[in-house]
Amino acid sequence: MRRLTVALGALALPLVAAAQVENYVIDPYHTVPYWETDHLGFATMRGRFDRASGKFSIDRAAKSGTLEVVIQTASLSTGDVERDGRPRTRDEHLRNPDFFNVQEFPTMTFRANSIKFNGDDPQLIEGNLTLLGVTKPLALKVERWKCGPDPRTQGKRFQCGGNATGSFKRSDFGMKFGLPTAIGDEVKLWMSFYGFRQ
Amino acid sequence: MDDFLSNPAVQGGLAPFVAALVVALALQPLRLAGLSVVAAFATCAYFVSGFQLTPLTATRKILLLSIAAPLLGVLVDFAFKPTRVGAALLALGAGAAALWAFWPVLAQRSASEAWLLGGTAALALAFMVGFAQLQLAGDAVRAGSAALGLGLGTGVAAIFSATALYGLYGIALGAGAGGFLLPQMIRGRKSFAGATFTLSAMLTGGLVGAGAMILAQLPWYSLAVLAFVPVAARLPAPEKAPLWLQAVIFSVYAFVVAGVACLLAWPSPLQS
Repeated sequence: MRRLTVALGALALPLVAAAQVENYVIDPYHTVPYWETDHLGFATMRGRFDRASGKFSIDRAAKSGTLEVVIQTASLSTGDVERDGRPRTRDEHLRNPDFFNVQEFPTMTFRANSIKFNGDDPQLIEGNLTLLGVTKPLALKVERWKCGPDPRTQGKRFQCGGNATGSFKRSDFGMKFGLPTAIGDEVKLWMSFYGFRQ
Repeated sequence: MDDFLSNPAVQGGLAPFVAALVVALALQPLRLAGLSVVAAFATCAYFVSGFQLTPLTATRKILLLSIAAPLLGVLVDFAFKPTRVGAALLALGAGAAALWAFWPVLAQRSASEAWLLGGTAALALAFMVGFAQLQLAGDAVRAGSAALGLGLGTGVAAIFSATALYGLYGIALGAGAGGFLLPQMIRGRKSFAGATFTLSAMLTGGLVGAGAMILAQLPWYSLAVLAFVPVAARLPAPEKAPLWLQAVIFSVYAFVVAGVACLLAWPSPLQS
């Protein structure tokens, strides 16, 4: 009888472990990647992508997790949408081959399989950014993180949300127009995100 | 020095012009002055985008084809006699090159859009290359003027279409044609153009225009008008006029057609 109990317990272990992995789907309406870069050495220009989707999973017991974010590059916006006598707007320029080349590369993705924890909270997400068909490592620092019942659903839905930051050199991805003096090489990312537990 | 070399006027104009002039002067005795246009284009590409070829994007395919075109042109000039069949084959190859360069992008569009843009690109490229090989390859002044108009026209139209990168590529081609024309205008003696020059200039210029249409916002009808720039350079001019004046007249013809294409590329405020 004792042997049977031990055997059943051993069989159940993976199930217990699996149950500790929480899967989340990213809320596209509150997940917004912002970016900023130097402009002409005078000012910092900021923009954002209005459409991002994806998923993440966390295993608090094993201190691990995964993340996948897919960003629609055509959804970029710097707020310059009226031509006002110019042939094209800045947003139109940014969508073209000089920068994000959205016709050829409609999405950029960030995939991570390594999440470092500080206590129960994710602290550093290490993964790969794919932009313009080039994949390079990128680390996102989680600056803010909170999980709990969603007050908008009277607690029926469980969510996690926060902010993450990182940076990369756009030249690493072949985006070289305007280098080295007109448009900065370093692009800083700042992202708000939410995920709903499945 | 970095500031100087990162100036777009240097990257797309001055440096390509100087490179083209040096190549035209150095290789003219070998009947290879036509390589000046690829020297100009490669100089611009070196400054603004580099020669990295992976991943093989549409823009990098244009770079690759711009290097392959003069090699094929030299082969055509030195190994074969110019014939209508040869021109037709080059035209077909140019159309196929356009589809090869842009097919992965066109495949993501709706069928009607892909047909319109892909068809315009292939036909424009085939027409420009075929016509130039038949009608301009034997006249270096007309060929140079056509390339000058096509390069500058494509460059300005591309800038109007929100791609300064392709704008610089086009302007560099124009600068290259200028470097090819200038020694002829000063000496009063024609160089040899051949497929070395016309294939390089027309294929690269056409691909830059097609790229501005498919990857940026150049209207298809603007590219269709640009395809007639080589035809404009075939219009008559006083036969006994000095060579420099002929070059000016042919260039003006080319600029008029290129100017119409640029006007068509300027979007109306209602489009915003």
